[in-house]
Amino acid sequence: MDINSSLLLSLTTFVYLGAAFFYLLVWVFRLEKLGIAATLTATLGLFLQTTGIILRWIESYKIGIGHAPLSNLYESLVFFSWITILVYLFIEYRLKNRVIGAFSTPFASLAMAYASFSPNVEDTIKPLIPALKSNWLIAHVVTCFIGYASFAVACGVGIMYLLKKNESFKSSYLINSFPEIKALEDLNYQTIIFGFLWLSIGIITGAIWANEAWGTYWSWDPKETWSLITWFIYATALHVRFAKGWGGSKIAYFSIIGFFSVLFTYFGVNFLLSGLHSYGAK
Amino acid sequence: MKKNKDSVIDYLCSVKLAIFLLIVLSVTSVFGTLIPQGEPLNFYQERFNPTFFNLIKLFRLYDAYNSWWFLTILNLFSVNLICCTLKRLPLTIKLLKKNILDTDAEKISRISMKKTIDITNNNDYSSKIKGILGNTKSKKLDDGSEIITSERGKINYLGVYILHSSILIIFLGGILGAILGFKGNLMLLEGEKSSRIINPRTSEEIPLGFEVRCDKFAVEFYDDGRMPKEFRSDLAIIDNNLEVLKTQIIVNKPLTYKGITFYQASYQSVPEISIEIEKKNNKKETLKLSAFDTINIPETSLSLGILQFLPDVHGVPAARIWISDGKNFTDAQWVIKGKSKVFGIGTEQEFKIYLSEVTEKFMTGLQVKKDPGVWIVWLGCAGLIFGFIVVFWIPHRRLWVLIKDNKILIAGQTNKNQFQFERDFDMICKKIEETAKV
Repeated sequence: MDINSSLLLSLTTFVYLGAAFFYLLVWVFRLEKLGIAATLTATLGLFLQTTGIILRWIESYKIGIGHAPLSNLYESLVFFSWITILVYLFIEYRLKNRVIGAFSTPFASLAMAYASFSPNVEDTIKPLIPALKSNWLIAHVVTCFIGYASFAVACGVGIMYLLKKNESFKSSYLINSFPEIKALEDLNYQTIIFGFLWLSIGIITGAIWANEAWGTYWSWDPKETWSLITWFIYATALHVRFAKGWGGSKIAYFSIIGFFSVLFTYFGVNFLLSGLHSYGAK
Repeated sequence: MKKNKDSVIDYLCSVKLAIFLLIVLSVTSVFGTLIPQGEPLNFYQERFNPTFFNLIKLFRLYDAYNSWWFLTILNLFSVNLICCTLKRLPLTIKLLKKNILDTDAEKISRISMKKTIDITNNNDYSSKIKGILGNTKSKKLDDGSEIITSERGKINYLGVYILHSSILIIFLGGILGAILGFKGNLMLLEGEKSSRIINPRTSEEIPLGFEVRCDKFAVEFYDDGRMPKEFRSDLAIIDNNLEVLKTQIIVNKPLTYKGITFYQASYQSVPEISIEIEKKNNKKETLKLSAFDTINIPETSLSLGILQFLPDVHGVPAARIWISDGKNFTDAQWVIKGKSKVFGIGTEQEFKIYLSEVTEKFMTGLQVKKDPGVWIVWLGCAGLIFGFIVVFWIPHRRLWVLIKDNKILIAGQTNKNQFQFERDFDMICKKIEETAKV
């Protein structure tokens, strides 16, 4: 059997689902010994996926329409899941805590499962229309998705923070294994800051690209507007810290609302609204 | 009364208003993404019920982002930004001016992050510590002790101003572009030139100050034959009757001349029709013209034009042709490719007109723009990112070292990222400890 990108990426889906399953076991049943297995599975998935993405890039050149694998919904989902796992593994390494894995690897595996199995997502390598043929494609998509992935992690951490803070869960051993409340609050805030920086760069690179392709850096296209709405929401979250008496819970809620806005910017706009980015739908 | 005024100003300067406005902006921005923008009013009348249509009209929801209420929110947002800045500025200047050496043993010992090292030999600690910290300031106290200080990232206090003023700079760039710039469309047939473009909103003509000519347009398809791969226009710029520039543009690779940029936006294919005219004396002429064109018939004072063209009438192209002597028109007659018809004005001037060939000619669609504000917008964007990095990743860190009575006291403070600072602080303490042991 030939090894090609679709085989590797389909395999990745199952490996990530396995990793998410392990992380959940580690958390729910306190199977600390499975922790290493969870990390190894996630790392193996990351390796398979990285190889798959590179192969897909090479394959596109082989069929004469070479472009970075960042041009449609399928490819963006794959990239989103890749960067989410990468951000998560970095946090796991820094915090030495695997519980967050139970709240972030499911995002990555669901994205892969959706990309692989949904009939709405076309997974063949398609040529690029002239408007997409630009060096800004890579810069724009990569920066936006680093932002999206950080916000996914922030959302997961935000949920953990709210669970940990809730008095009625105090005695629950599920919640006790979470990192300290201070650490969760800090991580929630840090991932929002990190995501916000990349979202800002993503919006700016998009503006530069639009200016080069159409002569307008901002046209209030639904995708642009929704990315700005997302930006407003996280900007609010960052200012909440400076307003008196607004603590970690408010920021945690914002990180959850913000991620819904991210999801709408990412999917909702493509499926429900029309505009310049509608080619991203299929 | 004065108290009221103060509280209004306080509110304008507050972070609370900023948070409120950010939330309002995120909610109100949604409208324009749900309702299609920039369509003629009857578009909305057909699609929405009367109550909702009236709301759309009242709040200009068909052009939401240029409506009075949205611009009001944006203005309020700018005022809030400026007020916040002005209010905090004196405090920041005080912090910036603050001399780190302006302290004493008592104050240093009150800092929470500190470490004491005992001195066991007669080394020259002062210069060694200065070497470790780098970029230090120091002073000797009356009791023979010495304070050495070092600080980094004072720019952190300015970060928030860089960030916030960058947003205002972006607004400024946008406003400048709207006032001093223009945007328009230009359709050019291959071989055609123009010195003016059309503003699509007002249909007004905008003079360019020079001429632009399209020499050739080409569209290239992928192997599947359907999906376009590239649109190319060969353009020439003619300034003061001199051809100053010749270049090819594609999508994502525009041409800029004298601040005006030409973008490849669209194209149309226009049929070019070859007509053979046989005069009464059997003399034949061949003419080439496009649909809607009018052309002079050589050696006569007559003109000929195409009223209508159909590329496919039961598989054959056909053109509806008329002839005029300036006053009278013949009836427009359909001529099918490969066939001829007789046209006449009076008896003398009778022609047999034969449609010999139909070829395709392209018309390139250019988006034309002048935006002198765009560089200010980019400057603002760069400042935004730079300011953001300064605010969140360049903390203001301060270190004090007090050498007094066989003891070295090291104390440190940071305004961000305590965790990382603690690690770095331990490192520095270790280095100083090592010199004390030697």
